[in-house]
Amino acid sequence: MLLILLTVVFFVLRVIPGDPIAALLAEGTPTYIVDAVRHSLGLDQPYWVQYLVYLAQIFTGNLGTSIGQYFKGQSVLTVILQRLPATAELTVGAMVVATIIGMGTGLIAGVNRDKPVDLLVRLYGTIIFVIPIFWLGEILQIVFAVNLGLLPAQGRFSSLDPPATVTGLYTIDSLLEGRIDKFLVALQHLVLPCLTLGLVLSGFFTKTVRANLLRTINSDYAEAAKARGIPRGRIITRYALKNALIPVVTVLGLQFAILFAGAVLTERTFSWPGMGSLLLLSINTADYPMIQGTIVVYAFIIVVISVIIDMINGLIDPRVRY
Amino acid sequence: MKAERSSHERLSYLSEIPLPFLGRLIHPLIRERRSLAGVLSWMGLGILLFFIFIAVFAPLLVPISQTQPFSSPVLQAPSLQHLMGTDNVGRDVLSRVVWGARTSLEIMAIGVLIALAIGFPVGLLSGYVAGKLDRVLVLVMDSIYAFPGLLLAALIAAVIGKGIFNIGIAITVIYIPLYFRVTRSQTLSVREEPYVEAARALGARPLTIMFSYIAHSAIIAIPVIFSLSSADAILTAAGLSYLGLGLEVDTPGDWGRDLSDAQQFLGVGVWWTSVFPGLMILLLTVGLSFLGEGLNDIINPILRKERT
Repeated sequence: MLLILLTVVFFVLRVIPGDPIAALLAEGTPTYIVDAVRHSLGLDQPYWVQYLVYLAQIFTGNLGTSIGQYFKGQSVLTVILQRLPATAELTVGAMVVATIIGMGTGLIAGVNRDKPVDLLVRLYGTIIFVIPIFWLGEILQIVFAVNLGLLPAQGRFSSLDPPATVTGLYTIDSLLEGRIDKFLVALQHLVLPCLTLGLVLSGFFTKTVRANLLRTINSDYAEAAKARGIPRGRIITRYALKNALIPVVTVLGLQFAILFAGAVLTERTFSWPGMGSLLLLSINTADYPMIQGTIVVYAFIIVVISVIIDMINGLIDPRVRY
Repeated sequence: MKAERSSHERLSYLSEIPLPFLGRLIHPLIRERRSLAGVLSWMGLGILLFFIFIAVFAPLLVPISQTQPFSSPVLQAPSLQHLMGTDNVGRDVLSRVVWGARTSLEIMAIGVLIALAIGFPVGLLSGYVAGKLDRVLVLVMDSIYAFPGLLLAALIAAVIGKGIFNIGIAITVIYIPLYFRVTRSQTLSVREEPYVEAARALGARPLTIMFSYIAHSAIIAIPVIFSLSSADAILTAAGLSYLGLGLEVDTPGDWGRDLSDAQQFLGVGVWWTSVFPGLMILLLTVGLSFLGEGLNDIINPILRKERT
């Protein structure tokens, strides 16, 4: 799967018309310089040679060197690894928000089937799922940052010195440093971006948890438990909810695609210095190795996550064990 | 056993309605108009028609000159002259919003129709022919499907450049796997049906079987996917514009870019440049997903019964 994604990326970047060299050099550059640059980047080779070189480089962990104006000459992988923790903090935080809100609302709706609260939650699930994420971010900024002045609207940290880099995750680094104040600052900056991204993602959890809960609540074993006089609340938490969550995990993998796409937009809304911002910066500066590297890292992360989810699936549901 | 029964039931349900494709769609829509799903579908359809109306008649509703910079005083709050206010370079927000409907629907139509034109026949082929070709296609499509659509579209948009047509092409790639998957699974569920067997026994060529027998049955799943992917296409196109990868600056309406431009003035209390374009996107995507989910419940009543 990784190979296919890499091939698609290669195809898009190299085979579709569009000349990185032309974008890189000023207009009117003499032809021999253009050719020299083309040669130095290996872009004068036939596609299949380029393809093999590209694959060989990626599998040895070499993503090349940046040619953009901001990171010229730096290793693409190093730059990406500097940006990765910011995206990780954002996405993990968003996933936590999405899980809590989504499971909560899904549970409420599933238990109160066809009552007004169920309709309301279903409406929420549908609308929040198609809300433009950057717009939601802007609205939250207007309310919480501009009007109420409670939370910072932009960036990852205040004017304070960020904690020394150990993991790159500001929340963890500040705790390692023993500075609660820095931890709180980092956390404050996380709230709005995570809330924005998490809310949009929660719609999916709401719908899936509700649908699966309805199925398990009406199942034979729930009936049996009821017949044995086990209270309804206990049936729901101990029997129905547990089994309702299994299919949720199965389809969770695809949500990461939405999560990462949403993260790119959220990073832009909140000037969050993560991989999404890096990708945009590279696109705007025609930094092809960096664009390619970022996409490859995204693809890699997604493949790793889907493998992990398959494994979790096998652990919680013995029927799918291979 | 269960799957066999359900597909059989679905077929008998369809055969009750001796009408071509549109009839099979409209008839249940009218019959179910009082159920929740029916109400949702009609609401969604109404919203969609409203947007198509303002998109088609945009030139008559608001002058295009109002969508360009310095046609009005800058940063006016909503008033009778400018119902939705004006932005930081003196463009009338209402006019931009109306023209934005036209832009968005154009991109959506290009993206989703091309995806349908490619995904549907390839899905038919893959499901019917099966074997190695099917396995390879499924693997490729699933890989693309698992990758963040916006990132892929951003990549393509960055390479092929800005413009309505180009963005339409860029987002097509996201939806091809969707149409492919749905068409393929429909094909798989009907390819062993007696009427297909019969056609085969009578010596119909594979292409005839695929495109006149199976396609006829598989196409019923398309309207649902069409609505839902359209909603997503609107969001993705707006997202690309928001990221600055979408349309040329002088496009008369561009919801995504307007939201991006609005952001720097949020801090000084200018809410109207952000709220209105966003509401338009939301209204259109909500309409489309109401339509999609309503249709889903109406067209697949048997599937729904199994799910709940």
